[in-house]
Amino acid sequence: MLEQLLIFTRGGLILWTCKELGNALKGSPIDALIRSCLLEERSGDSAFNYDAAGASYTLKWTFHNELGLIFVAIYQRILHLLYVDDLLSMVKREFSELYHPKRTYYEDFDDIFRQLQKEAEARAEEMKKSKPQAKPVESLTKKEGQIANKKKGVLLAGKEKVSSKDDASEGNHTNGHKLENGNSNGRELGTKTTHADVKKSVPESGAFDVSKLRKLRSKASKKMDTFSKAPKVEQNKKTTKKNRVWDDSPSESKLDFTDPMAEKGTEAVVVVDQGESMMDREEIVSSDSEIDEDEEESGKPDNKKRGWFSSMFQSIAGKTVLEKSDLEPALKALKDRLMTKNVAEEIAEKLCESVAASLEGKKLGSFTRISSTVQAAMEEALLRILTPKRSVDILREVHAAKEQGKPYVVVFVGVNGVGKSTNLAKVAYWLLQHNISVMMAACDTFRSGAVEQLRTHACRLQIPIFEKGYEKDPAVVAKEAIQEASRNHSDVVLVDTAGRMQDNEPLMRALSKLINLNGPDLVLFVGEALVGNDAVDQLSKFNQKLADLSTSSSPMLIDGILLTKFDTIDDKVGAALSMVYISGAPVMFVGCGQSYTDLKKLNVKSIVKTLLK
Amino acid sequence: MEQWLNQVFITQEVYVALAVLFFTSVLFLLFRLFRRTKSNTIVLAGLSGSGKTVLFYQDGSSHQGTVTSMDPNEGSFVLHSETSKKGKIKPVHVVDVPGHSRLRPKLDEFLSQAAGLVFVVDALDFLPNCRAAAEYLYDILTKASVVNKRIPVLILCNKTDKVTAHSKDFIRKQLEKEIDKLRTSRNAVSEADISNEFTLGVSGQSFMFSHCVNKVTVGESSGMTGEISQVEQFIREHVKS
Repeated sequence: MLEQLLIFTRGGLILWTCKELGNALKGSPIDALIRSCLLEERSGDSAFNYDAAGASYTLKWTFHNELGLIFVAIYQRILHLLYVDDLLSMVKREFSELYHPKRTYYEDFDDIFRQLQKEAEARAEEMKKSKPQAKPVESLTKKEGQIANKKKGVLLAGKEKVSSKDDASEGNHTNGHKLENGNSNGRELGTKTTHADVKKSVPESGAFDVSKLRKLRSKASKKMDTFSKAPKVEQNKKTTKKNRVWDDSPSESKLDFTDPMAEKGTEAVVVVDQGESMMDREEIVSSDSEIDEDEEESGKPDNKKRGWFSSMFQSIAGKTVLEKSDLEPALKALKDRLMTKNVAEEIAEKLCESVAASLEGKKLGSFTRISSTVQAAMEEALLRILTPKRSVDILREVHAAKEQGKPYVVVFVGVNGVGKSTNLAKVAYWLLQHNISVMMAACDTFRSGAVEQLRTHACRLQIPIFEKGYEKDPAVVAKEAIQEASRNHSDVVLVDTAGRMQDNEPLMRALSKLINLNGPDLVLFVGEALVGNDAVDQLSKFNQKLADLSTSSSPMLIDGILLTKFDTIDDKVGAALSMVYISGAPVMFVGCGQSYTDLKKLNVKSIVKTLLK
Repeated sequence: MEQWLNQVFITQEVYVALAVLFFTSVLFLLFRLFRRTKSNTIVLAGLSGSGKTVLFYQDGSSHQGTVTSMDPNEGSFVLHSETSKKGKIKPVHVVDVPGHSRLRPKLDEFLSQAAGLVFVVDALDFLPNCRAAAEYLYDILTKASVVNKRIPVLILCNKTDKVTAHSKDFIRKQLEKEIDKLRTSRNAVSEADISNEFTLGVSGQSFMFSHCVNKVTVGESSGMTGEISQVEQFIREHVKS
């Protein structure tokens, strides 16, 4: 049963809600949907899940782009209602006939809606009755043997639950049929059913999601992987430490070769002022001319001649309604262009779907081509994504923390070799230029030379550094560093951590422990601009692990992104887009070189321009 | 000789014609300019959830509630209190710009034709959002279009029908304090600050709204009960009918 069905305008006014389904919704699912899905350009997704205290809803939506209306249906997540999509499209059709821009009351729609709901439910019942044989067979053919067993288990459990709801005869008939197949597997099936039952809430509607099974399979394989990986990692750690012999000399037991006396006399020049950090320098954006679009058009005259002519004709006439098939070629071209700029494939796909969803059904204005409409929509979408959701004014937050008397803690996380330590020094330099006292904390206790590296930077910048050497627990080192900072009244503490791969379970657990124990004000994910499709995987896994392994109810996720090695890519700036899209965190800094002044802010307009060039 | 005289005549006539054309076009442009400066657009801005869309739909018809806006709402209304006035009443063009931070750039499009700006603040839930509201207000007050054209700003404390709403003086003082702090942190950055084009207030003194070049006033209202008299007063003041 539906919880609620709403119709509202893009400007925010609710036009109609169903009065019969008058259940009060817990929390504010609609606002959450708009903020975290539609405004984040995820409108191509099929559904949105919302969890509030005491209820978990699933929301489905559809747009009427011409009139600027949005139709949203909300129902409890455990019910897998099949008729929602159907119902939404029927409601859209009927309501568009009633709609008038000046009207805000639509009482007469209640009856129409009741009829439509009955129709949709009836149709769904019919489909359910005619389809239960077909679905399991086809999904069986897709997977391998073991998985098929698991599936059968789930299916059996599902059928058992459903049989109470369906007509007795029909349910028993299907049950009997399944049991014939299932019996051959015997005991295996029994254990698998209980296993699957305990694990998942079985869908009551008899149809089951292939995606759930995929998850089951991946979970099983992951479990095996992590079990095998963990001991391997410890072994690796131990073996490399022991066998580090470069020539035939006997291995040394300690690896920390720094001589504390030699520190003072090093050639490390104290960096008083290397000039203005690029953060504070204004960026001159040259205005673009519109010629590039025409150049692109002339580049492919042959295969597009006929299509171009008819689209020109249509554009002058200007009354065509945009269909998905019209948008297809333009979107595909845009997607390819984005991918050549190093945007991850998944992200480009989702973006194109979202733009398609927002343009479908719109009327083309006169004298506009389809490609230019699509381009404009995509540009707006990109601008929206890259505009930060939260304030990127770190100085303001530092001042606020200073007033409260606590140090502002920033933790730098990322995979191996992206430039965390280098960029930490750059951020420290920038903060020093604004008269903020900084302290570094060397929590990378694994990599040889990490502490020395930070020590050198601290020497050059003349700031205190808190270090405890190697082989110590980073979480404890960080905690002590923060206590030290509040003792000597430092405003900011920059915590450096060891690089780690996102799949490495024990290391991610250690990172999560560090963050939970210390509660930093800013968790900066450091990512390099050269990364390709892996950016999506890195960020989503980092966020997921931080959320899963956190002990508090509101886990600390990645708050910002530091994009490094930006000077090495010429115009393949897509990594910025992938990272921002997948995590929702804004890009706070961009590292564009290897000296202290090479740190700047992200210029959203120039990135968008470069992406669409 | 005569031919030459004729030629001169002709050129003179052409000259006259050109002069006439020039004058009419100049007059036309002047009219356009005058009309533009007397534009009748009022822009509603503020954080997401402060009640702008509810205020926008105050033209009498009741509605069933609002959700977060994704697009700006534009419309021309005749003010309530003026519907009884006799004679020609010029409708006011009101624009409700979404408050969500990702949609901030949309505000710039409407500021160029604004005769006044109403910055809506949630008086009920003020303290948690104080900093964000102050930042938004600071950004607006330092934009070139606002400073150059001296667009008057009304800081509207909305939702005052609730018992626990803060008073407008309290809100004004809090905002002044926050903007003062913002001033010091933003001015600490060197001259080329990309985002803020002007600096606010008098250096050395703590910030007060009276230091602004444009006129800033504070008012109260309640969108749900329809108590919007101060808004209407502001509109009437600044939109010439």
